[in-house]
Amino acid sequence: MGEKIMEAEVLKLIKEKFGKRATDSKFECALYTRDLAPVPAILVDPMFKTMPDLVVRPENSEEVSEILRLANDRGIPVTPRAGASTVYFDTVPAKGGIVMDLNLIKGIVGLDETKMTVTVKAGTTWGELEHCLRPRGLAPLAVPSSAPAASLGGWFCMMGYGIGSLKYGSMLSQVREIEVVLPNGDIRRVTADTDPPLTWFASSEGTLGIVTLLEVGIRRERAMKHFLLHSREFDETAKVLAEIKDADVTPYNLHFTDEPCVKEMHKQGFSPDNIDAGCLLAVDFDGTEEELNKAQEMISDLVARNGKVSLLPEAAADREWEERYKLLRLKRGGPSELGGEVWLPINELAGYLSDIRKLAARYHIDMCSYGHVVTPERVCVMTMFFADETKTFAYILNLSLVKKIQDVGYRHGGYPYGVGLWNTPYLNRIFPVPQLAGMRDWKKTLDPRGIMNPGKLYKWPLMLNPFNFSIGMNLMAVLRLFVGGGARG
Amino acid sequence: MTTEEKNFFTTLEKESLICGRCGSCRSSCPVYQVLGWESASPRGKISIAREIFAKGNKGALTDDFVQRVAQCTLCGACANACSTCIDTRSLWLEMRKRIAQQGKGPKSYEAIRNNLIAKKNISTFSNEDRLEWTQDLDDEPEGLELKAGAEVCYFVGCVSSFFPQSAQIPLATTQLLMESGVDFTTMGGEEWCCGFPLLSTGFAGDAREFTRHNVSKIKELGIHTLIASCASCYHVWKHECGSELDGYNLEVLHTTEYLARLVKEGRFVLNELDEVVTYHDPCDLGRNSGVYDAPREIIRSIPGVEFVELDHNRADSLCCGGGGNLQSVDAELAAEITRLRVKEIKETGATIVVSACQQCEQMLGAALRKEGLPVRVMDISELILEAIG
Repeated sequence: MGEKIMEAEVLKLIKEKFGKRATDSKFECALYTRDLAPVPAILVDPMFKTMPDLVVRPENSEEVSEILRLANDRGIPVTPRAGASTVYFDTVPAKGGIVMDLNLIKGIVGLDETKMTVTVKAGTTWGELEHCLRPRGLAPLAVPSSAPAASLGGWFCMMGYGIGSLKYGSMLSQVREIEVVLPNGDIRRVTADTDPPLTWFASSEGTLGIVTLLEVGIRRERAMKHFLLHSREFDETAKVLAEIKDADVTPYNLHFTDEPCVKEMHKQGFSPDNIDAGCLLAVDFDGTEEELNKAQEMISDLVARNGKVSLLPEAAADREWEERYKLLRLKRGGPSELGGEVWLPINELAGYLSDIRKLAARYHIDMCSYGHVVTPERVCVMTMFFADETKTFAYILNLSLVKKIQDVGYRHGGYPYGVGLWNTPYLNRIFPVPQLAGMRDWKKTLDPRGIMNPGKLYKWPLMLNPFNFSIGMNLMAVLRLFVGGGARG
Repeated sequence: MTTEEKNFFTTLEKESLICGRCGSCRSSCPVYQVLGWESASPRGKISIAREIFAKGNKGALTDDFVQRVAQCTLCGACANACSTCIDTRSLWLEMRKRIAQQGKGPKSYEAIRNNLIAKKNISTFSNEDRLEWTQDLDDEPEGLELKAGAEVCYFVGCVSSFFPQSAQIPLATTQLLMESGVDFTTMGGEEWCCGFPLLSTGFAGDAREFTRHNVSKIKELGIHTLIASCASCYHVWKHECGSELDGYNLEVLHTTEYLARLVKEGRFVLNELDEVVTYHDPCDLGRNSGVYDAPREIIRSIPGVEFVELDHNRADSLCCGGGGNLQSVDAELAAEITRLRVKEIKETGATIVVSACQQCEQMLGAALRKEGLPVRVMDISELILEAIG
């Protein structure tokens, strides 16, 4: 009881100090109880306290430090949030407390064209960074497909693979230095060589501290050339994809779309060149004139050698590139969508999609898949299907299919991309035991009171332990087989 | 929306469920940029709308929500950014309509409506005084009022007709039309408000009466080309009068488009102007209607002018803060938004900022004066007039 009173006093103190930049209004706080995922309250509320007690918007590292110091003293949970553009509740409180809205920590601090780096406040979105760099003929190395919404700090704290990663590497490989505020309020500069090093914070999902500043690599913006390849069968697409990723000229971006997805795009009126069947492969190159000519030759040669693959008009390829941040438009077929994002070995992609087709047939539902090739070995695949969150029972049953998608991925050597709260049941699939143990040690070292984004990443909550989760989801899947559950059926 | 500008809008219920809450709309929203709270962001407002309209949680229709819906300039930047191709501008209008239907709209909206119904214009003056501004013309052209069969009808708009600080726009436009020998007229006292203030406050049914009246008068006069110098009037004529105009051949142009045509035809002799000029895209003319090139062509055609773009321009342009009747519910927020734009104007080093909307010009002019910046704000018609000496 005494602890609770002290907690209330601290919250009151922060609220008074931050004035108009802090609120405990239910109207406002309610909007911080979800991210992209519309998980029904009937599932969330019995397990978690997603309603924050206070939302505060600090303007700089010093203010972040002050809040963390006070919260740490009283053991108040703190959930950092900027773009909130993930679906795993990474930025949603599991245990109430304070949500730190970092969107005011924004802007370019420095640009070094000799080192080719830019120093950026962590709440800046990738879209904003692109906008600032473009007039100077510069660009980020790689960006998330949610660039208009995702912050630099947020993407660093996730896995950080997206558009451009195939050519320029992960977010971690682009970062030279960060400023991070540790849970005890200490402000540290962290590089690959400090103790703790950068690797601790990359993919830490806001559980080890709050990143406030990043120095990241940039590139000279060069001309681009876009190609859109079409084939009837995905096996053909997979072959072409493998050839292109290993070619002498590495594409900046390599994105595939499977047939159900193409059909859905056509149905909704935004398929490129009005294509109504088959699979698509978008290939985007950046480079010198010579490199682009070489890329052109390589693609032309590939199409000439392979009668089952055709090249769509340049205008269609250009438009696909222009709309690269609008992958979510498919959701118009919903109104809701559910799905799983799987980090998959490239050589398993065709097999994975084949099994997804079988899964979809078994449950009488259309499943659409698309994804980016993000390393020479891995592809990040999104497999989704439509649902309707207004039909709660059917929607909950449909959630069981998300696990089925992840199970297909697992059989093909894949695992979920990102953990947050909802993927904790898959922790043993995602991390080898020694790696997870090591991560837990880092957490204990930096956050002994466990205030930073509690409930995420390291262990599953009781109700989501893999055994219960598996039984529960499988039972729901069986039930779904009998009663149906799709928004369209 | 997509690059093909296809409008996917269905219903408020469906669109609010379709919103993916991705947040791509946030950094483009001027209101969110100023207020910073999730509830002020387009995705935040749509999240609440989903609860109210799609899930039937009527208790969520609170005064706080009504205030947030009113805190929007209808600039359409969020529609441009939306990753699920929601025409959010239509969504906000529909929300305001539903709120008005339940009698829960802001009081100032009701006052706007009552005044419009009584006066047929947004001022407190009689609608018969619409051509008061012509008193300042050296020579009043023949047939200025209600000339049947005129080649062009100039739809002046309420602000330009009644507010002295905007009178330079119709004066300049009229002088240019006279200079180039165009056979034109106006609707005089038969011009009613275009209906935009009613549409944007949720009274779409009342707005329809205004558009019906205006269209019937245009038909009576046998007019086949209508030009408007107000971006919002233009938007209404272009996009909201489809059913009234069905089967009638009426070319609707903004004055920038018409004047650009006259410039191309060589109907003006443009003298050298030694000025650095930037252009502010009015939301209803640019992003919401797709007119970007005409004003730029005019500016570039003036010898001696150095044209510089603002940081955010064309489809990415920042709102001036004056749209969507925001001033009537939160004048301070509107002024804060204007300051964001003024900062960009300052960075260009321009000596003149040109626009094509009296509301934008009024907002920018007031903010620039307040900051003591030596930048002149001009309508595109005034710039041409200055260039022809």
